[in-house]
Parts: sequence; C-alpha cells; structure tokens
Amino acid sequence: MESIPPTIHEIMEIKRIDYFNLPCPVPYEEIHREAMMSLKPDLFEGFRFDFIKGLNQKFHLTHSLSMGPVEVPSQSSETLKIPTSNYEFGANFLDPQLMLSGRILTDGRLNTRVSYNLTTNLVLKANAQFSGESPVPQGMANFDYKGKDYRTQIQLGNGDLIGANYIQSVTPHLSLGAEVFWVGQQRVSGAGFAARYNTDKMVATGQVASTGLVALSYVQKVSEKTSLASDFMYNYMSRDVTASVGYDYILRQSRIRGKIDSNGCAAAFLEEQLSMGINMILSAEIDHKKKDYKFGFGLTVG
Amino acid sequence: MASANKRLALPSNNNEGILARVSSTISQSPIVHKGQQAASDVAYVAKRLLKSTGKAAWIAGTTFLILVVPLIIEMDREQQLTEHEMQNASLLGTPSLPAK
Repeated sequence: MESIPPTIHEIMEIKRIDYFNLPCPVPYEEIHREAMMSLKPDLFEGFRFDFIKGLNQKFHLTHSLSMGPVEVPSQSSETLKIPTSNYEFGANFLDPQLMLSGRILTDGRLNTRVSYNLTTNLVLKANAQFSGESPVPQGMANFDYKGKDYRTQIQLGNGDLIGANYIQSVTPHLSLGAEVFWVGQQRVSGAGFAARYNTDKMVATGQVASTGLVALSYVQKVSEKTSLASDFMYNYMSRDVTASVGYDYILRQSRIRGKIDSNGCAAAFLEEQLSMGINMILSAEIDHKKKDYKFGFGLTVG
Repeated sequence: MASANKRLALPSNNNEGILARVSSTISQSPIVHKGQQAASDVAYVAKRLLKSTGKAAWIAGTTFLILVVPLIIEMDREQQLTEHEMQNASLLGTPSLPAK
C-alpha cells in the first residue's frame, strides 16, 4: 500500500512535463563542449602575438605570429623539439546570413571556412585545407538541420567520407543521439551513441563509438562563474585510459583554467585583460612522466 | 672455517688480555653481525624513502605552483578590485552598481 503514493506522485510529475515543447539539444559534435572548454584550453609553447583589426562592422583581419619549439614526432621516447616561427594572416567576413573565413600560413597552408544559412533552420558549413605537400585539398561539407527538439547533420568529405548524426531531446534535461559514418577510401565504417544530461547546475555526458572509444564527462557549476570539470576517456583498441579533473574560473578581468590528468600532466591557462583590447595569455604545462615542461606567453591586441 | 677455529681456540688462549678476549667475542658474535646487517638495511631503506619523498615533494610542489598559486593571486586581485569599487561607491555616494 505504501508504494502507491510515490507512483501517483511520479505520474503527476511526468504529466507535468510537456513533451511537445522540449528544448533544442546541443549539436552532436558539441555534447562535450562544457568539459572541453574547461579541460582543453589552447595550450602552447613559446611566444604568440595576435592582432585583430576590424575594418568595418562585418569585416576584420587577423595577424598572428608564433615563435617557439614545436614537437617533432620521433621514434625515440624523448621528445624532439625544433624551434620554428610562423606568421598567419586571416580574413573574416561575419554576417548573420553568411560567414566566410580564410587563413594562410607562411609555409603555404591555407584554411578556408564557409557557413551559410540556406533557410532559417538549415545551415551549410564547408571547410577546406590546402597544404603545400599534397595537391589534393582536404575538404568537408556539412548540412546542419535544426528542428524544434532535435538536430541532425549530414557530413560529406573527400576520401569518400559520409557521415550522419541525429540528436533528440527526450526529456527537458536528457538528450540522446546517434551517429554513423563510412570512409570509403579506408573502408572503415562505424556507429556511435551519445547521451547528455544537463541541468542548471551540472552537465553529464557519455559517448560510445564502435571505434572503441568511450568518453564520459561531468561538469559541475559551483557558481555562475566557477565550474569544476572531470572527464574520462577510454580507448578499447589501444587500451589507454585517461582521466582528468580541472577547474575553470571566470573572473572580472581574467579567466583561469587548470587541470591535472592521470598521465601525470598538470596544466594551467591564464587569460588576463591588461587594459581595453589588450589581453595577456600565460600557458603552463608540466608533464611529470615525460619530464616535458612547456611554458608559453602570448599577447592579443584588438 | 678459520674464524670458527679461532673462536673455539679463544678460551684456551692465555696470551691475550681479558679485554681483548671480550671485545673479540662481541665483534664476532652473531648478534653484532645481525645488527650490522639490520643497520645497513635501515640505511638503504631510509635513503630510498628520502629519495622518493623528495621526488613526491618536487611533483607536489611544482604542481601546486602551476595550479594553485596563479588562482590565489587572481582571486586576491579580484577581491581587491571589488573592495576598491565598494570604497569608490561609498566615497562618491553613488549606489554601487555591479560592473558590466
């Protein structure tokens, strides 16, 4: 007899949720975005200088300079670093309807990106990479469709890549998604499933793919500007496991992110606003296992 | 074999003094031998322990320096900024509006 009141209560609870007015989920590719933002800052080594010049409301140019050691893959266990410097020039056009972006590096690599709203719900995104070594550019086109409580995407790329994914809100907090892909050139195909549970205070995600990847993440928002994140990554094929925990503080003039992972690697990333339009970036990474220490200093103007 | 012979021969040897006999009995006793071995073992373990604690302290110290020290500095700056604004607001008599 005692079990009846809670069940009635549960039914009432379920009835109250309007299943025809569920929120739109985040894109399938971005289900881990909160954890990624906190745990995967753009760490670098050496010096970086970025200058953004807005020519008018919609058009701006970027100049970025980077100097520092770059890791070169080698057979030996020791990391081999070669000092390099690079200049990158970029041009961006931003409009609610159309976004165009292109950047070119001094070593001849060119990156282009297009995003065009075909209708209010359908977006075409394309990107291409031209490198000096291979004459065939790497290209990819995505069609994103945003429904009322679902999103779907179709991907087409060279190397006969075809992929599709779909994500649907199941309850106001939970969304479930699935993906399939096929790479014709390598004759590989796969499928994956993902789930995401988010409330105002936390986000928990899980993803499994037939490539052997298992990824779990959890982000707890301690306050409006503070969050703690953790993630767990397991690859069934290569049998490597990584878990990491980190914090993310957004202060009034700075943002600081720190993380430590199970490979003995501690990293911190600090962005500080020195004055209007001038930002300083400090990046630090210590790998205790490999005895690899990376420190970076950067300035962003504009 | 030779030491065993010597030890057996000791009591009959009248040439040595009583002190020498006692000291040689002590130095050759199995307890002293065991004690020496234990001492060297302890020294080895202590050395290893010291080395590993040193390593752990290094790792903990550098990690702390990277992860916690900048956070403390930034939090402190934030607090200073807030205090400064509060002071300004009270001096000017304007209602303290949140920045941004």
